[in-house]
Amino acid sequence: MNFITSCCRITEKNCLINGRIVAHKIEDSPESWFKQLYKHLALEYPKFYKMDMLSQAGFLASEYLKKEYPEFINSYADDEIALLFANQESSADTDIRFKDSYRDHKSPSPSLFVYTLPNIVLGELAIRNKLYGENMFAVLPKFAPDFFLQYGNILLSTGSKALMAGWLGVLDGKVEVSVFLVERDKDNRMPFSEENMIKCFSDQA
Amino acid sequence: MTFIGAEEIVGPLGQNIQENFMAVRENRTGITLANHAGFNNEDINLAKITSLEVKNKFEYLLVDVLDKISRKIDASFISSPKTIIVVSSTKGDLDRDISNPFEPSVRALTERFELKNQPLVVSNACISGVLAINAASNLIRAGAYDHAVVIGCDVISDFVLFGFQSLFAVSALPCRPFDKSRNGITLGEGCSAVVISNNKEIFETAPLELMPGTSANDANHISGPSRTGEGLYRTIKRTLEQNHISAQDIDFISAHGTATVFNDEMEAIAFDRMDMADIPLNSLKGYFGHTLGAAGIMETAVSMQMMRHDLLIKSLGYSESGTSKNLNITTENKSSGLNTILKTASGFGGCNASLVIRKL
Repeated sequence: MNFITSCCRITEKNCLINGRIVAHKIEDSPESWFKQLYKHLALEYPKFYKMDMLSQAGFLASEYLKKEYPEFINSYADDEIALLFANQESSADTDIRFKDSYRDHKSPSPSLFVYTLPNIVLGELAIRNKLYGENMFAVLPKFAPDFFLQYGNILLSTGSKALMAGWLGVLDGKVEVSVFLVERDKDNRMPFSEENMIKCFSDQA
Repeated sequence: MTFIGAEEIVGPLGQNIQENFMAVRENRTGITLANHAGFNNEDINLAKITSLEVKNKFEYLLVDVLDKISRKIDASFISSPKTIIVVSSTKGDLDRDISNPFEPSVRALTERFELKNQPLVVSNACISGVLAINAASNLIRAGAYDHAVVIGCDVISDFVLFGFQSLFAVSALPCRPFDKSRNGITLGEGCSAVVISNNKEIFETAPLELMPGTSANDANHISGPSRTGEGLYRTIKRTLEQNHISAQDIDFISAHGTATVFNDEMEAIAFDRMDMADIPLNSLKGYFGHTLGAAGIMETAVSMQMMRHDLLIKSLGYSESGTSKNLNITTENKSSGLNTILKTASGFGGCNASLVIRKL
């Protein structure tokens, strides 16, 4: 049996861990919401500032999960944690910026272009946490707990022992992020089910 | 057992698998010089389907290839509730709706063929095709579906061409994978599909066995290949181990071979680490260009044809070794028993994937 052992939800105003608000957007701050969260985490990872919004979203959610559950990454060998992520708009947030760079500013930006693939966030998470396991990024019309359940269970029965998985909806200031850790044979936790994924996904507090 | 067959390709070299394989056998390339295509209006070598001037080319190609597939298997399987369509693409139709690059085309495909299940879109850079085949195989082995059609498609756009130009990754001449003088990719476009099933009776032409594959990340850099080939090495190792086969069992490797200096070097290191340097190997990018999300499917389809004909196909554009580890790159077409083959792919985001196909 597989269990959701922690989940992180980031909306346009709040960041929640297992349903509990851990950060709230300061509206009159000169800093962006994601930068506020990065500072709140008090990390030293300057590469964060180079990332696009999609990668920042995945990075922030994963770091909040690690803060809540510090043993997670080191409980597994470096190829046992699979990354399974999806969204609806692919890398559109950065695609639009890259298109502007060559159409309006007459200079295609290589630093934007390298983020015009949705799976780049998986690379960022792999680099940060030294993960050499399975990767998949899917593009789906809407949040689909049935997909995560089906494919997540397949990954957990074909060699992977844990998942870092979730939905990374980021486009034009809209933020709809829900990332969860799934592990096998953990007692007293939420079963890995569609119902519990929906619960993680709908935490608004 | 999982079966793979009914391979199909639509691209600059032909409208179906027969035309494409005939061109490849004759060592003809689909790459031509496109006038004023570049960001600075310069001429660029591209493998473009010049005969196709349609609106919504991405959707057109998806429909066209699935229509062709439906004539190669019992067509009722396409719309069966036990069938899933998996679409592999990096950019979909971003010129149609940049904020929603896949959904309009996938919805049109769903309606046209009365598909019962929501298609799964895998968008994982240049490993999308191999990963999509592996995903379909996993879904079938887990019993979620009985059949899958895996379609890989990407079309050339200013967006992608200008992007690769901004990285100085586009070759001035047609690309030369693994060659000493290689200097970057040549972009291509096309659409390819394969059918995967737990039932070999659905195929009109005998299928091959698809062995479950794996993926692995380099955990090294988002746009630069690993200097040790770590992720590629790991995915090949895991794929072989989980199928209980060894490097000696592999008769041919269909490599990724983009023809950038660093990618091909990385692949050579990974194959060498796996003791695979003596296994015949090619890259098909010299024929089709780099078709991104379609590449893994297209190159698997050609490899399947190579197995059916027991014919090694020349790695077009290669003449002199240009990697620190020597590989056994096929320099001329050659008859050879191809019973078990390895297909690999690597891409931005540090991702790598592999799969094995074996004759029944």
